[in-house]
This record gives sequence, C-alpha cells and structure tokens, in this order.
Amino acid sequence: MTVIHRALLAVLLILWLKVPLAEEPPLRIVTPDWTIAETLLALDIEPLGVGEIAGYRTWVGTPSMPDSVTDIGLRTQPNLELLAQLRPDRILLTPMFRSLERPLSRIAPVEVIGHRTDLSAWKAVVEQTQAIGHLTNRREAAAALIRSTEQHITSLRSQIGDPGKPLLIVQFMDAVHARVFGMESLYGSVLTQLGLRNAWSGRTNAWGFALIGLQELAAIDGRLIVVAPTPIGSDITATDLWQRLPSVERDEVLWLPAAWSFGALPSARRFADILVDAL
Amino acid sequence: MSLSLSARICLLLGLILVLMAIANSALTTADLQILAVGGLPRIIVSLLAGGGLALAGSIMQQALRNPLATPTTLGVVSGAQFALLAATLLAPGLLVIGREWVALGGGAFAMGTVVLLAWSSRLAPMAVILAGLIVNLYLGSLSIVMLLIHQEDLNGILIWGAGSLAQSGWDGVGFLWPRLLLIAPLAVVLARPLDVLSLGDTQARSLGISLHHIRLAALGTALFLTACITSVVGVVGFIGLAAPAAARLLGARGFMKIASCSVLIGALLLVVIDIILQALSASAPVLIPTGAMTAVLGGPLLLWLLFRLKITGKSLRQSCLALVPARHLALKRTLLLLALLATVTMSLGTGRAIEGWRWFDLGHAATMLEWRLPRILAAGGAGTVLALAGVMVQRLTQNPMASPELLGISGGAALGLVSALFLLQGATMPTLIAAGFLGALAGIAVVIALNRGSGFNPQRLLLTGVAVTATASGIQALLLAGGDPRGQQAIAWMSGSTYYVDFGTALAITIVAIIALVITPFFARWLDLLPLGRATAVGLGLDVERSRLVLLLLVALLTATATLIVGPLSFVGLLAPHMARTLGFSRARSHLLGAAAVGSALMILADWIGRQALYPQEIPAGLVASLIGGLYFIIGMRRLL
Repeated sequence: MTVIHRALLAVLLILWLKVPLAEEPPLRIVTPDWTIAETLLALDIEPLGVGEIAGYRTWVGTPSMPDSVTDIGLRTQPNLELLAQLRPDRILLTPMFRSLERPLSRIAPVEVIGHRTDLSAWKAVVEQTQAIGHLTNRREAAAALIRSTEQHITSLRSQIGDPGKPLLIVQFMDAVHARVFGMESLYGSVLTQLGLRNAWSGRTNAWGFALIGLQELAAIDGRLIVVAPTPIGSDITATDLWQRLPSVERDEVLWLPAAWSFGALPSARRFADILVDAL
Repeated sequence: MSLSLSARICLLLGLILVLMAIANSALTTADLQILAVGGLPRIIVSLLAGGGLALAGSIMQQALRNPLATPTTLGVVSGAQFALLAATLLAPGLLVIGREWVALGGGAFAMGTVVLLAWSSRLAPMAVILAGLIVNLYLGSLSIVMLLIHQEDLNGILIWGAGSLAQSGWDGVGFLWPRLLLIAPLAVVLARPLDVLSLGDTQARSLGISLHHIRLAALGTALFLTACITSVVGVVGFIGLAAPAAARLLGARGFMKIASCSVLIGALLLVVIDIILQALSASAPVLIPTGAMTAVLGGPLLLWLLFRLKITGKSLRQSCLALVPARHLALKRTLLLLALLATVTMSLGTGRAIEGWRWFDLGHAATMLEWRLPRILAAGGAGTVLALAGVMVQRLTQNPMASPELLGISGGAALGLVSALFLLQGATMPTLIAAGFLGALAGIAVVIALNRGSGFNPQRLLLTGVAVTATASGIQALLLAGGDPRGQQAIAWMSGSTYYVDFGTALAITIVAIIALVITPFFARWLDLLPLGRATAVGLGLDVERSRLVLLLLVALLTATATLIVGPLSFVGLLAPHMARTLGFSRARSHLLGAAAVGSALMILADWIGRQALYPQEIPAGLVASLIGGLYFIIGMRRLL
C-alpha cells in the first residue's frame, strides 16, 4: 500500500467520521417472507421487494405495504432475474426457505433469520425482531418495538372483563376441520401475555397449531374464538354439530377479523387489539 | 344368495368390530348429543361411502373387464378434485349451488377423456389404465399450478383432497342414501348384460348386445356414484380396488355376487380403517386423513393383485413402428434443428423486466448470460435426457403411452425429497438433492426387484410403476393436508423447475445429456428389435432379459438425473418420442436423435413461457411442459393409440 493510498484512506476515514450516522444510506433489503416484511415495516424500513404482495395485503394487512415496494414473485421461488435487476444489498430469509439460500446468494448476501423452534413462541419472535434490528442497524428501534408491543399488550389486560371460560382459538379450514392454536403459537403467546387461559393444551405442530375435526373440538369446554377468514363456499354455522358446540349453545362465540397466524410482533399486537376489542 | 363360509366369517368379524367401535366412541365422548351428530353420522357415512365406492369399482371392473379399473385409476377422483379447486378460486358461487355437481362435472370430464384416449384400442385394459394415469398426472399438475399461486386459500381443499370422513351432522348421510338407493336398482338392471360382457367381446357381440352402449351406461352409473361420494368425503382411493378383489378371492363369481359381496366388504373396510386412524390421529399433532391413508395402502395392494391376476391385453406394438412414411427425413432434421436454435435464441434474448419487455437488448448481455443461460442449458439438457429415456421406455415396453415418469422413478424421487423437507428441519439444497436421488433409486429398485421374475414383462413393468406412483401420491396428500407451511416448498419443488440451477449444475446436466446422446445410439439394435416382440427378438439372437435390464438401468439413471432438475411431473418423456415418431423418425437411431431435439426445444420453450407468463411469478418449466403436452394430447388424441 503506497503512501498516497494511506493518505486517501485517512481522508476517507475522517470524512466517514464526520458524516452523521443518520445519513448513511439505508440497506436496500429484499425478503420473500411476509413475517420478516411486517417486522421491517414496523421498524420503519421500507423493503425494496417482497414476495406475493397481493397475498400480504389479504393475509397480513398491517403494517400496510407501500405501493412503491416491488413484488418479487412467489415466496417459494422469488424471481431471480428481477432480483438481480433490483440490486439489493441484503436478502433476508426464514429457515423454512433455507433451500433458497444458494440461488439467492448469487445476488446479494443472504441472512437466514430465526424463527427458532427450540424457544417459546414469544421468545422466538422477539429474537427474530432483535436479529432484524441488528442487521439493519436499528437496534434501538427493534428494542422499542419489542418494548412497546409488550407494554401495549400488558396495558390491555385491564380492559378485559372476565371471559368466563378458557379461550379456544380456531381458524376453520372447511366445515368440519379447524386449526386450533396452542400455547406455542403466536395467538397462544398473546393469550399468555394478556393473562388469559388457553383451552387447548393438546398436541401441536412446530407452528403451535393442530388440525382437528369439529367433533374433537366439541369435547373441549372453552369459549370459541373464530379467526377469519372462514372457508369459501361452505357455511360453517349451518351444521348440526356446530349447533351443539358448548360455546354456540351458550351463544358466546367471538368472530375476529384476520390476523396473520405465522406473523411477528405487529401481527401479535393486531391480534391482541382485535381480541380485546371483541371481548 | 349364498356366500362361502369364509366370507360369512369375515363379515361377522367386521360387524363385531363396528359395534365395538360405536361402543368405544360412545364411551370416549361424554356428550351423547355430540355423538349423535358427529360420531354416528361418521360411521354411517363411512359405511355408505365404502359400500358405494366398492360398487362403483366392481361395476367399472366388470364393464372394462379390467381388475384394476377403479374410480381412482380412471381419473374420476382427480377430475372432481381439480374441478373443486378451480371452482373455489374462480367461481365460488358454484360451490354454493352444489359441490357434488362441480365434482360430477370434473369427474365426467376426466373419465370422458380417459375413455376417448383408450377408445381406438377398444378400451383394452392396459390402454385404459395408462390413459387414466396420464389424465391423473395431468390434472394433478394443473392443480399444483393453482396451489402454487394460491396456497393460503386452498388449505381446505387439501384436506378434502386427502379424504376425511369427519362429519358435522346428518347432511352427508342425508345426501348419500337416496342417491345410493337410486343407483342400486340400476346396478341390478345392468347386472345381466355385464355378465355377458365377461364372456369376452366376440361372444357378447354374437349374442347381439351392443357392447359399447352397455359399457358406457355402466360406466356412467359408476361415475355418478363416485362423484356423489367424493363430493361428501373427498378423495378415497383403494376401496374400489380392494373390495371387489377381496370378493373374488373369497370365491364370489358372477357380477351380482361380486358386487353384493364387495359392497359389504367395502363398507366394513372403510369403517374399520377410519376407526383405527381416528385412534392413531388422537395422539399425533396432525390429522391423518383416511382417504390418503387408503391410497398409501392401495399401492402395495395393487402390486399384490398384479402378481395374482392375469392382465389380458393385446400388445400395442404396431403403433410403436412407423405411422408416417419416413420421407424427407433430412429436410425434417434440418427444420427441427432450426426450430431448436430459434427457441434457444428467443429464450436467451427476450424476457420481461421491471420496466417491461426487453427484446435482444445487448446492454443486458450480462443478465442473459448469468441468469438465462444456465436455465436454458438445464432445461435443454433435462429435455434431451427425458426424451432419450422416453424413447427407450416406449420401445422396451412396446407401448407408445409409456413414459419414464411411470416407472416409479419420479414418484420415488418426489417422496425422498418431500420426506427430507419434513423430517429434517431447514434442509439445504444438497441434502434435498441427495434425498431425492436416494428416493429415485429406491423407486426403481422396487420396480426392478418385483419384475426380475417375469423377465421384465412390459405390461407388468408399467403397472408396477403405476402402483409405486400411486403410493407416492398418497403420502404426498397426507403430508400436504396437515397445513404445515413447509408444504409450499414441497409443492414448489414437485412442480419441477430450473429455478435452483446455477452454472455448475447446468454444466453437469449438459454433460450428462451429451454423454447420453453419444451412448444411446449404440443400443439402437436392441431398440429396433425389442418392439418386434419377444419371440421375434429372440429369434434374431437378442438376449431379451439382459437387454431389458440394461436399458431399464440406463433409463433409471437418466430419469433420476433429470427429475432432480426439473421435478417429477413433466410429460416430455412421453411427448417427445411420440412427436418424433409422428414426424417419421421411426428407426431407433433417428427416433432417439429426433426425440432429443424435440424434447430439448419443448423444455426450453416451457421454461421460457413459465418465466414470462405470470411475471414476476414463475410457473415451473415441468408444469408448463405438461400443459403444452395436454394440448397436444387433446389435439392428437385419435392418432395416439
């Protein structure tokens, strides 16, 4: 390295130190995943591209996706040529789509971020948020998001009356099958934070839910919370078995609008809001 | 009617089991009211569905004189499933009018296609089964396109597709019993002529009975039955195959006896399987849908039947040879190469970008080389390899509807990969590829092991493949029904895409393709002799068994390689050899080379269309290829067999 080089480097270093941190150009981030996308938006980072944006608007909704974000195609196989044209600085993936790591790393450095299944659902989401904050140089914003979400949910506690029975949170797949959400799901961890009891203590999969038949549901004594969307083309309330469900007989079923069940903190906050609102 | 003693004992045992089950579920469900609207209707629906499917199966088997004909193998079930998927997405209003009518429409369309495909070979059993499999695979790939793009909306249909008998009231029972009551007398009316049918075509004709009319009437009855049941309980395979087979084994002879006996067996079988699975399901985090489980059980059963029952069917060898006079071959060869060149140029030079179409924009030459060239090489290489394998399989099995996908190789690869995806958390690409390759080897090993004894009898070879494929698709339905998000990744891969290809893999598949192009012509003599039939081939000094085994291994190796790159569901191995033959390339050597050119052009074109059609979403090349293939089939249907 010549003297001139060193001098140049020194000048650059001085310039860099002089420039306030805020003016450092933000990372241009792309992610096919909706959960990472919602966390980014909550941290006030607009991603360059996200997968299946129309689906995001239907299933996740808030925080709302700006129109300026580019749709990069399927979440399972984002369009490579388009990504190359976007020239992102960083691509964020969840471990579920780890098989994309190799093709995408030809475009930009790829970071695979949490969701660790060995942690409790809430810890996993918090850790994922911290990791995203770390990567995007928004540690404080991430910490604030975690704090404010937790505080917000705790503050909702006082607004809840006695729901009576433990809650049974379900999402119908067709007229006879539903996903029921256990402790280790996002919904379940919100219940815990709200100090509410979850009526489902049975088996669940890695995402904290179980797919069960309506008959099995009928055997559980809990207050039924039905999360939208309900299946197209079948009226779940029309069946005899529905009419015999303990909650239906007591006329205490709650219907909630959609909240992304595989989501992160913004989805958790949204779920807490609509649940408390309904109670 | 008198049943044999063993049959009565079996039925008695079954009845005892059912009573035990009712008692058991009465004990576990504290609330008798819930039992009255949940558990009891479930048992009765199982009885009705099992009996109905068994009746449908026995009617179809009798009508086609084909012990392997069932609602599943004739495409009825996948047609119904496809129609329901499409209706859910495109016209949900139709579902409110009636799911059963949507299902009936889809089922009728699928079975109609199967019948038309096999019509010119006078509905010979072998032709029907293969036509059914092709229609199944084709509708399956169409369904996957929809799943790929609208996964979140279709979770309910996936459960239905795996066949769950859960009921939420008496609606299902109320829907089924009057319809079954309507069909039963019809079956009796059809019974006499169906017995005449079993005498064989020539005898039946000499008795002055219009065979085709009776066949169509019988098939129509079975179709209606299947559509009604399918719209209530979803996809349930196996019963239509197993029950009539069991009835025959128990000594039932004549259509009436077989039908009535299999109705009883089918009803009991489904109830018992459902009860066992319900018990197992209670301790697993996923629902175990009965229909998919029966499909998994159905594969081995199909295999077992295969080795017990004689498959009668005339050889189809004529159509493997020249259909079109081999004229102007040099000119055709040149045109084919020009077409291939044009496809490559278009695929390399044109494409959509964020701002719109780019036509041969040399400013973006780097994009072309970096992102498009590997995919073109991979698509072309895989197309070549599959086409070569297809030529060999068709000549080896003397069957123009054979395809490497039907040999269990693709099913095995898909199964290996999907298991790795679900069993190993966050598996990387090399792991998945290794798992897929092992699966493919396992699939072909099963097929080879089961066919060694018969000297690789062509018909049996294909049917073994059909059984392996059926088992694999049952397991896939089972995994997808659980609603696990990893299912999306499985669907994306199964649909077959050049997505994961980089320069290294592209180069590897190109080299494989070139080696295959060099090696396969050395087998031209075998491939010319084998379609002439065993006797002729032996007479001309060919060791038939050895040559079949060697060719089979070569096909397995080529197909496994291509499957790992473009997925298990492409029809190139079926189409390319057929197109090449239609062009007049009928001698083995020119057939191989012609098919290779057609196959690579087709795959490159499919890959390009898939990348442009729904930009920025990509439709996998394998799917596009099978869509193009479907069009070709429908247009060229009459010449096919």
